[in-house]
Amino acid sequence: MTMAATSHDTAAETAETSTRKQPDRTFWLLAPGVIWMLLFLVAPILMMVYVSFWTQTTFKIEPTLTLKSWVTFFSSDTYLGALWTTIRIWLVVLASTLLVGYPAALFVGLFVRNKTLSTVLLVLCVIPFWTSFLIRVLAWRPMLGKEGAINMILMSLGVIDQPIEVLLFSELSVIIGMTQIYCVFMVGPIAFMLGRIDPAVIEAAQDLGAGFWRILRTIILPLSMPGVVVGAIFVSVMVLGEFATSAALSGRKVNLLGNIIVTQVGSLKWAFAAVAGVVLTILMGAVVAALLRVVDLRKEL
Amino acid sequence: MNATGIKFGLGLYTALFIVFLYGPLAVLAILSFQTGPEGGPQFPIIEWSTYWYKHLFGLTPPSRIAPLPIEQALVRSLTLAVMTMIVSTVLGVTAAQAFRKKFRGSGVVFYLIVLGMMVPGVLVGLGMALVANTLGIDRHWWGTAFVLHVVYTFPFAFLVMLAIFNRFDPSVEEAAWSLGVTPGRTFRKITFPLIFPGVLSAMLFAFTLSYDEFSRTLFASGRDLTLPLAIYGTFSVEVHPNVFAFGVLTTLFSFALLGTYAVLMGLSVRRAKRFAIQEEA
Repeated sequence: MTMAATSHDTAAETAETSTRKQPDRTFWLLAPGVIWMLLFLVAPILMMVYVSFWTQTTFKIEPTLTLKSWVTFFSSDTYLGALWTTIRIWLVVLASTLLVGYPAALFVGLFVRNKTLSTVLLVLCVIPFWTSFLIRVLAWRPMLGKEGAINMILMSLGVIDQPIEVLLFSELSVIIGMTQIYCVFMVGPIAFMLGRIDPAVIEAAQDLGAGFWRILRTIILPLSMPGVVVGAIFVSVMVLGEFATSAALSGRKVNLLGNIIVTQVGSLKWAFAAVAGVVLTILMGAVVAALLRVVDLRKEL
Repeated sequence: MNATGIKFGLGLYTALFIVFLYGPLAVLAILSFQTGPEGGPQFPIIEWSTYWYKHLFGLTPPSRIAPLPIEQALVRSLTLAVMTMIVSTVLGVTAAQAFRKKFRGSGVVFYLIVLGMMVPGVLVGLGMALVANTLGIDRHWWGTAFVLHVVYTFPFAFLVMLAIFNRFDPSVEEAAWSLGVTPGRTFRKITFPLIFPGVLSAMLFAFTLSYDEFSRTLFASGRDLTLPLAIYGTFSVEVHPNVFAFGVLTTLFSFALLGTYAVLMGLSVRRAKRFAIQEEA
């Protein structure tokens, strides 16, 4: 309504008044959203940074600035272990989502020439995203358990005699679960980039005698790189901020920085939680910045 | 590409990939029909039954397995999702509307908004809890958790509306005004039908994301549980098939939402086509 009304005014009025009114209108349209984000996104993050320098006593925090929580964090094996576990799980999941997702994206984006079929396949990949995240995580328990579906199938096929116990409540189960949950975010952007490759380029390469692997290496992979980077950013941000998958599938054996934050908040150690949060923020910022350096997204997209 | 062997191989792989995506949910659905209360969350199925569905609604005699605390939680989650949907769609439409004109600092504002969907819930949740503690505000699902839900879903609504406005031809609106149609009628007859698919998508995004959201809610919601928090609470204890039954029901609910969306979208597309035909004639 306001939009229609003000645009009507500007159309009728002279150019001079419209340039005066324009910034005004933009300001009022943006103000609610920007204020909301400043108050409820930027302020909490700044507060977290601030509180990481507060003094932690047994049950509460006091606004006396100190570096003690930081020193505790970087001299504790538990916290440093969690930082290292987070980085390790992130790298493994990033690689596995790429390996698992790329061939599927290749098929959907490049090999399926039928528009309807490729849309159906993409929708099939996206639908699980609409169902409850926690339920999808939990669904891995009956799959991977000692009496789970995978062990049962392998045993009845005669592949193994004893159930594989390492499948559940281990680092492996966390990696399997995260790969399944996040690989959709890898497949989507890659399939999108592959779909934009001009078939004539590939035909030309074939006419010149290039085999599939050569075409893959010299044409398809480089042209899909922006998709890989976008997918990697999605996956990285989500995996680094994770704690639910490890809580559900590792049986407390895998502690990510997210899990550290949850347990610290649970025992009212707000300052330690804030330190872990700031470390996580820095890690995430560094990862995203590094990925953006690989490919200039503005140029490529 | 005409490498038939490779295409076949990749096709087979993609089929397996889809099994990988859906397999766990299928197993979960099968096991939700395990007999109860003695049947555990694993194979083999001792006897097919709907015991755990009845257990969910409190229709079974009391047993050692406590019912999931979902009744209150469901009401809270749905209310929260509707609140979030309305506010983030309104914010998304207005912010995207502002972006139809070029203005100074648009890059900064764009990244500020998109940051909301990128920053992990555990960080904003923690930050919000700290702010609330310092200011002495009580944390509630309808207060501190609600504003964080909007922080998360508003960027989605904004991006969807931005995409819609990019393809929007302003001359249609201008034509209506120059023909003397009132702004109100123009909005109802021209602008709204054109942006309706976007608004619908933004609403679907906001509702679904808020309904499933839990990492922000975990720190910011205080004592009262929302539905995802009730599920998260079962992670630390032994899992029984009642959680699986709940998973099946909530998945069906999500599908019903998607279905409603698809029907409304189809209607709107058909309506747009009818208008196009009228114009040609």
